[in-house]
Amino acid sequence: MKKLTPKVIKSKNEARAWSVWVINYFTACGFMELLPWVGSGYDMERFGILAVPTPRHADVFIIAGYVTRKAAKRIKMIYDQMASPKYVLALGSCPMTGGMYWDSYATIKRVDEIIPVDLWIEGCPPKPENIGHGIVMAANAIKGGLEGH
Amino acid sequence: MMISDIESDLKSKFPDSLLNVVSEDRRISLLVKKEELHQILSQLKDIGFNHFSDVTAVDYIADKEFELIYHLWSHREKIRAIVKVRIPREAPTVKSVFDLWTGAQIHEREDHELFGINFEGNPNLSPLFLEDWEEIPPFRKDFDTRKYVKEKYYSGEEGYPVAKG
Repeated sequence: MKKLTPKVIKSKNEARAWSVWVINYFTACGFMELLPWVGSGYDMERFGILAVPTPRHADVFIIAGYVTRKAAKRIKMIYDQMASPKYVLALGSCPMTGGMYWDSYATIKRVDEIIPVDLWIEGCPPKPENIGHGIVMAANAIKGGLEGH
Repeated sequence: MMISDIESDLKSKFPDSLLNVVSEDRRISLLVKKEELHQILSQLKDIGFNHFSDVTAVDYIADKEFELIYHLWSHREKIRAIVKVRIPREAPTVKSVFDLWTGAQIHEREDHELFGINFEGNPNLSPLFLEDWEEIPPFRKDFDTRKYVKEKYYSGEEGYPVAKG
């Protein structure tokens, strides 16, 4: 295969950054805070971000809320179905440390024990502004050549 | 039908099984014996308690008993009935009310999972939330959540847990 020139790689990354399709896995309050981005309030579609119904069409996997041991298996299953390159965003304290469920017998404490996470957005739950900041950071990273998994 | 009618009806039909009856404005609470639980619930259904809200359990570990609490609602009379029953902790088995209200199935399945209570006649008591669970049911009082979580998810010094991985 012919090696891509830097110019082609740059435009490829640019194109990829402007059409990020996401699959959401929401178990808890994080979804309430992302909703303004799905609706017309913050409108994520103006950044080329689209929520898709199937992991096979998605580039980015957003996990919000606590992850139970039962859900962890489903998350792995969804992640494995996504086509490369794929990126993972984790929203809120719960996927990071367990959050307020740190001593629950049913939730796993760190989602990166199951799948690699590219960006953590802090908050309990994160405000829509934080999520927007995170999404812009992710888009910039993709533009800058973040390869994903 | 008034609350007093329900009370007298049950007292005449089940004189031995009603241990305690508390009547309030729109609510009747009964403590019954395990032996005639199913008949009493069946009778309550016949006199109009057509909505099965919930069955939940309390672990009275000092008494070595579980208390099951059935919540029923009558849409016609707008009365809530609360039926409580004590069952032994060692052999927690009661007859399922799936034959009276099919909606009871999922509540009984959850109680079975979290307390280990056996409902005879329920068609499906397989685990609902806890996959690959090997410990005793987690809502029992003798299950030490903190100890389990520390061993399962954390490693590190006492009081300063560090996540594994």
